[in-house]
Amino acid sequence: MSDADSGSRPRLKLGGHLAPGLAAVALFGVLALVFLRASFGEAAGFEQGASITAAIGYAMFDIDAGAVPGESMLVAFEIIDLVLVAALAGAVMLARTGAGASVVTALTDGGRDSESATIADSVRELRDTLRGGEE
Amino acid sequence: MVPPQYYLVLAAAVFCIGVFGLLTRKNALLFLMSVELMLNAANINLVAFSYYWGNVTGQTFGLFTMALAAAEVAVGIGIILVLYRNFKDVDVTEAATMRW
Repeated sequence: MSDADSGSRPRLKLGGHLAPGLAAVALFGVLALVFLRASFGEAAGFEQGASITAAIGYAMFDIDAGAVPGESMLVAFEIIDLVLVAALAGAVMLARTGAGASVVTALTDGGRDSESATIADSVRELRDTLRGGEE
Repeated sequence: MVPPQYYLVLAAAVFCIGVFGLLTRKNALLFLMSVELMLNAANINLVAFSYYWGNVTGQTFGLFTMALAAAEVAVGIGIILVLYRNFKDVDVTEAATMRW
């Protein structure tokens, strides 16, 4: 095939590198096959006129009220509280720039430290390049 | 009334899109989005079976899953920030060791 014939069209390269993607598609095939062949009875559904939103609130705080059944989720609520605080602390710890930086400086200077002001530097370089090109 | 199979197939599709992204991409931000898709597939199942059993536990647990996903993304974004600061890139294959 000549170069003019092949052109610059994107070409599908077959090979082993396609295996992970095909594995994901095959997983969907297996799952869909199993689910569509499984038999379920008629859904119970919720009572007509029952407030689901209120029932979620009652279940979350272990209040014995409302028409829709549900388990108490008070322990899960407290655990998720701890997890969120830990994640917040972890995110702040990871986002700190260097040993000397504090949260306050990260807020005021956008998190940049002096030796790696990469975005500002690259913007300045780009601007200089463009200006040089015009001249 | 939609049968539970359809919800299951939808959840499987969303989950497998997440797995596909996780296996084929190198960008750390796309990794985060793929994990998010997989978590949301689990949420679809929770809500579907909450309706199937007429019990509100599944929906309440779905809320907790969302809070957990938010915590995971907060830590994930922090890790991606550190990755970018050290490698000037968000390619997950660059970082092959736990310390550098």
